[in-house]
Amino acid sequence: MACGSTSLWAGEATWFCCGNAWGSCGSAGTGACGTCQSSKHMAAWPNLSAACWDITRPDLCGENMPRRTCGAVMNVRHQCSGATVCVTLADCGPRTKSFCGEATCCNGACRTNRVIDLTPSAFTAIGSLSSGKLPVYIYE
Amino acid sequence: MSHSQESGGRRLDRRRFLTTAAVGGATIVGASALGGLDAEAAFAEPMDSLDTAIPAAFAEGRVVAMNRNVLDVAGSHGERYLIQLTNATSIWKLRTTTAESIEVGDGLYARGAAMPDGTIAADAVWVNIVNVYVTIRGIAKDRLHLTHGNEELVGHIVPDTTTASYLGGALTADLSRTRIGQEAQVLGAWRPADGNIDIARVSLGH
Repeated sequence: MACGSTSLWAGEATWFCCGNAWGSCGSAGTGACGTCQSSKHMAAWPNLSAACWDITRPDLCGENMPRRTCGAVMNVRHQCSGATVCVTLADCGPRTKSFCGEATCCNGACRTNRVIDLTPSAFTAIGSLSSGKLPVYIYE
Repeated sequence: MSHSQESGGRRLDRRRFLTTAAVGGATIVGASALGGLDAEAAFAEPMDSLDTAIPAAFAEGRVVAMNRNVLDVAGSHGERYLIQLTNATSIWKLRTTTAESIEVGDGLYARGAAMPDGTIAADAVWVNIVNVYVTIRGIAKDRLHLTHGNEELVGHIVPDTTTASYLGGALTADLSRTRIGQEAQVLGAWRPADGNIDIARVSLGH
């Protein structure tokens, strides 16, 4: 399956670790799909399943993104730099409801609410891990 | 975002600079040596995804040996990486720092260019960086007690470094609004010696 260019969503991208790992990530496991690895271009989506939705509840922040399941692919593009990475869904997340209203901005334009979590491999393809968050557009 | 910097009156592509430095055996100087490029901007600048002549590379793992400007890294899935640090490499370990702060046993993520000899010429290296979703279980003057999943962690508050953001607000050094039971995202540096975290930034949620 190839990543596409049809607009799907926009918001904040954060990052998380999964799979075999060091440090605090060591207990992360391979995610809801059983395939997640920090060193692969993978992502977590808040509406991976009904059970996932009950955890993330993006609707409480006004984000009613569609269901996309394990193995779906998306292009994630940095709002300002245009840097883009193609990711495969491998986990449930982020916990959107815990950070309602949070915004990340660049060049004076902001994106609000956490809508996708990227693995370190994917996140570093479009930005810096030490920033923690990026404003992104998502395509499929 | 620009993928090149002015240097010596001519434009200097970051990836070309990095790979040239790697081939030339550049010495370790830590943060970017590309004039006028601030450290955070250097970390934020991924190499041009359209530059297929020099493929991008990513590495994850723990440092098992260091030899001058080369890190020998054991990946968590059995891979082995040799990561070259050059004049163009930016290094983060709780804060922007230099290669001298990297130690055997540290974990890292590295982004760079795949070299013909199989090594990776790094343009950015994040050492011991973690970004974990936690619940605050206790608050002391110099630390936060946290749970991450079923794991208990101590997050150390580092003077002049640790900042907080409340409900997406601006970063502040004031952690007084932190409450027990709050959910939070902690970005910091893992401490291999005791498994705890030095906090760079804590984002407090609802």
